[in-house]
Amino acid sequence: MHRNTRKELSADPWFLTGAAIVLVVVFLIAATPWLSVHDPYDMGFQPLSPSSSEHWLGVNDGGMDIFAELLLGIRNTVAFGLVTGMTALVIGVIIGLVCAWFGGLTDDVLMRLSDILLAIPSVMILILVAALFRPSPVALGLLLAVMAWPTTAKAIRAQALVIRKSLHIQAARQMGASGTYIIGRHMMPELFPLYLIGFAAKARMAMFMEASLSFLGLFDPSRKSLGMMINYALKYYYLDIWWNWLLPPILCLTLLIMMVTFLAVSLEKVFDPRLKML
Amino acid sequence: MNGSRRRYYIPAYLFAALVMMLASYSLPRWLPGDFVTAMYSSSHVTLNADQEQDLKAYYTERQGFGRYVVDFFTLHWGYSYAFLTPISELILGALPWTLLLMGGAHLLSMILGFIAGVEAAWRRGGIIEKAGVGTMTLLEGIPEIGTGVILLLFFALHLGWLPASGGETAYAAHSAGSWLLDLSRHLALPLATLFLAYFPGNFLLTRGSMVMVLKQQFLETARAKGLPPARVRYGHAARNALLPMVTRFGLRIAFMVTGALVVETIYSYPGLGTLLFNAIAVRDLPLIQGIVLFSSLIVLFVNLGLEFVYSRIDPRVNHAS
Repeated sequence: MHRNTRKELSADPWFLTGAAIVLVVVFLIAATPWLSVHDPYDMGFQPLSPSSSEHWLGVNDGGMDIFAELLLGIRNTVAFGLVTGMTALVIGVIIGLVCAWFGGLTDDVLMRLSDILLAIPSVMILILVAALFRPSPVALGLLLAVMAWPTTAKAIRAQALVIRKSLHIQAARQMGASGTYIIGRHMMPELFPLYLIGFAAKARMAMFMEASLSFLGLFDPSRKSLGMMINYALKYYYLDIWWNWLLPPILCLTLLIMMVTFLAVSLEKVFDPRLKML
Repeated sequence: MNGSRRRYYIPAYLFAALVMMLASYSLPRWLPGDFVTAMYSSSHVTLNADQEQDLKAYYTERQGFGRYVVDFFTLHWGYSYAFLTPISELILGALPWTLLLMGGAHLLSMILGFIAGVEAAWRRGGIIEKAGVGTMTLLEGIPEIGTGVILLLFFALHLGWLPASGGETAYAAHSAGSWLLDLSRHLALPLATLFLAYFPGNFLLTRGSMVMVLKQQFLETARAKGLPPARVRYGHAARNALLPMVTRFGLRIAFMVTGALVVETIYSYPGLGTLLFNAIAVRDLPLIQGIVLFSSLIVLFVNLGLEFVYSRIDPRVNHAS
């Protein structure tokens, strides 16, 4: 990363806000054992009891501590986003580099494949698979990643093609550097900003999907998630529980989505060479 | 992107449609063992012997993919045992509601987002533009679940101005005028939620591409010719800023469909999303399958239409041909 981009990032309010939320979330996840004294699966409390010093956010209709559920839900959503974002990024980078380096038929076939994947409404496949096979969250995340790499691959490919023609790569080739060396030593590090942008965008999509699909009831019902908490609490929205049961998961989910959105927006603003001319 | 690049899109959509149909056909057949019994034992639906036989036949004795495709296009989509209705009837009954909601939200957010984006780019650097970009970026970070529930709590529960669920008041006899009013009162909250989800993206994208377009030389020419500013803005510049919005539409399908499902569910709006939610809740497999395939094909069709529109409005393509 160049010096001036680092300075630009640390001066961008969106980046700072996003990074601040990251810190809060990391703290919440790391401090879970100390923050919540209850087991989120313990159903032994008085159902629908209001907030107290014992249960900070009260107890839900199943007799489970809402605060403990909330912390576990945040962790699950973040984990889903990280796993899916990382996998999609790795696939996208590999395919993008392969396309740019080999060109020809390989490039054509992979790019047509990515056009088809872009056209397929991936959420529909996800819903179908989730409803039929009830796979584990990790399997669903990987499936989403397998369908989500094309945008990253296209961005990497386009930029790699530009770099490939640049003088220092030409020089390296003249001196007899191998393809693996050039890709590993020159192209991959130079594309680093694109990895950040791609990862933030994919993680954002994955977290949004996880929340929505768990809200729709497509995940294992025993898995704690923010979407499912919202779904359960929504049935009781007319009661006086909305502020301690319905609102906390909504706020947490909004914060998580804001975190990745702001980071993605700011990274794109700082690193996108097209926008830099502005 | 040049003309030869775009040619590949129609085959891509046809392939995607084929993949969706194949997935819908073959995925249930990969399930191990006697899955009909297994699935329905954990569902709220109880099947009698005849129905179970029918359902097993539906999944196992179908002659093959060709037959499946023919059945699909002749609206033989099977039978829902949870709702005791043919699936085609359920889906076609829910479709107008979804089209009204999604179509309305997209049309409004695209037109208003586009105009707002063009005007913001024109006033670049001003305080209104900066505030607009800030607000819209903030809104981009709020998911539909959040906006939906908060609007529901505030306008339907706290203030009681608007109905909390449904598409129209049931069993009420209306004159045409009050029926329309009733319809729009039910539509207001879900439409507002989706609008708030779609508008910021359209605004930010149009503004971004418009800022780039405004730097180009042909606009100097247009201004030098003495054209009125509005003509320069919309007739010459904005046309080029329209293209990224069309491209983006295709790329955002996953977000949009998911968001619409969630919003319909929150407000129990009687469209395809709520139908799917109910089907998932009672594990009504043929119905889930039908909705997934049908809505995927609609999405593909809309996208294909947009690609066609794209090729018509792209000034560069027109000049080339």
